[in-house]
Amino acid sequence: MSNVRQISVFVDNKPNQLTGVMKLIKDSGINIRALSLADTKDFGILRIIVNDTDKTCEILRSAGYAVTVTEVVAITIPDSPGQLSRVLDILGGEGVNLEYLYAFLGKSDRAVSFVIRVDDNTNAAAALNKGGIIQLTENDISEM
Amino acid sequence: MEKYWNQEIETMSLEDMRKLQSERLVAQVKHVYENVKYYRDLMDEKGVKPEDIQSVDDLHKLPFISKADLREAYPDGLLAVPKSQCVRIHSTSGTTGKRVVAFYTQKDVDLWEDCCARAITAAGGTEDDVCQVAYGYGLFTGGAGLHGGSHKVGCLTLPMSSGNTDRQITFMRDLGTTILCCTPSYAAYIGETLHEMGLTPDDVQLKAGIFGAEPWTEEMRRSIEKSLGIKAYDIYGLTEISGPGVAFECSEQKGMHINEDNFIPEIINPETGEVLPEGEVGELVFTSITKEAFPLLRYRTRDLCVLSRKKCSCGRTLIKMTKPMGRSDDMMIIRGVNVFPSQIETVLIEQGYSPNYLIEVDRINNSDTLDISVEMNPDQFSDKVKDMQQQERALAEAIKTMLGISPKVHLVSPKSITRSEGKAVRVIDKRKLHD
Repeated sequence: MSNVRQISVFVDNKPNQLTGVMKLIKDSGINIRALSLADTKDFGILRIIVNDTDKTCEILRSAGYAVTVTEVVAITIPDSPGQLSRVLDILGGEGVNLEYLYAFLGKSDRAVSFVIRVDDNTNAAAALNKGGIIQLTENDISEM
Repeated sequence: MEKYWNQEIETMSLEDMRKLQSERLVAQVKHVYENVKYYRDLMDEKGVKPEDIQSVDDLHKLPFISKADLREAYPDGLLAVPKSQCVRIHSTSGTTGKRVVAFYTQKDVDLWEDCCARAITAAGGTEDDVCQVAYGYGLFTGGAGLHGGSHKVGCLTLPMSSGNTDRQITFMRDLGTTILCCTPSYAAYIGETLHEMGLTPDDVQLKAGIFGAEPWTEEMRRSIEKSLGIKAYDIYGLTEISGPGVAFECSEQKGMHINEDNFIPEIINPETGEVLPEGEVGELVFTSITKEAFPLLRYRTRDLCVLSRKKCSCGRTLIKMTKPMGRSDDMMIIRGVNVFPSQIETVLIEQGYSPNYLIEVDRINNSDTLDISVEMNPDQFSDKVKDMQQQERALAEAIKTMLGISPKVHLVSPKSITRSEGKAVRVIDKRKLHD
């Protein structure tokens, strides 16, 4: 299994909420590798992948934030037309339900990386393997 | 074996109690009529003379007195003795308008503290106990009342007042506090802080808590009992009548015994003023029959509750009142439906949320809106937006089932709603700004 741990943080829909989280992370010397923010009328959910998941969770929790860790799939694909569509076809073909996805910077400028959140990681990983899609481990990401 | 502070009074037969009440009432009406012009005018206007009051059965003949009268007579229009005989004043918090000032003679203070001593004894307090009073001290009656009661019982008394929670916990541990007295919302906060400090109820020696001065629910009681490892007792009172200790809970934890040798209760229909029979919900009215300085006859409390003389397992025969179901001041009428904050609190605790919430009522396009901010439960936090929105919808649905009207629920961060050290402000009614 090469699942990657993603940290989600509950943030109020008020000014300076994200700043607070970012300052804590900055002060502790943690590096954010991937980030997305989902927002609703009332609140936001910040999702990040970092180079030290345990430490980040500890820092955020002790500052009073609601934090949850979920396993997600991370992939890297060539930066050319039609590649993401191929990935989605592979997942769809195996009946894997996609919750959300977001792109992040990889180490090559000819490749692009994605975090994919599905309900069934095992099924998704098997399908991606079969389709020849490169999956990233947490270690891969922290070394980027 | 149940312990009483004043066994004779607390277990008196109904017949003897009515006799005692009647004697005191007759004397009190005479005292008030002779010494308080405001009252004399009220009674004359209603055509009632002191001679018309021969026993408690005649109580209904007297006019009511309300908070509006107290404000009108501010500061000393209802004072029934010369100021030189008074030794103290207390005052209401003034959250609902102009303050009300109550005067006390030394005897008034003694009788009040005696009522608090009954409450502490009913909660298991003896001279061996250490009683930490974390109600506010000062004009507020909470601190002074329990402080005096604790002295009477002979407890080692810690006059902490409210606030400085870390110090509360330090003293609690260092001095071996066994009884905590404060508002229920502050008790909940002390419990939370204790756990945040990595402590458990085993690290303190608390056995009982006496909590009052604001509405709280049965669910909140259980949650405080668990977080502090205690039995939590309710206490009721109001500055206008004396302060905490007008009524107190016993080990049965089902309603509060009214110290009816000092305060005669009645339940009335709040709209018509008609006296309702035992067992019916209505507005609680008190007549203080022993107070010298500031005696109120038929004071309308605005608290809605039920009275009962059902036999109590503790052996006390004093009449019981239910926990107030709400104050008519707190009661909001939203889209024509009566809503009490306590109902919303009940749902929150049932659904696993913190009892810290904020209700905002507004009127938009001539329609009332009800918005409730609730601290999200970190254990239920999901990275998926749809899961979190589902939680908001489920909570709104549960509140709708309870109230009959649909609220909008907004999840906010844990601990982002201000904790209170005194009375909690839970409702903002913006409709009042438009009127």
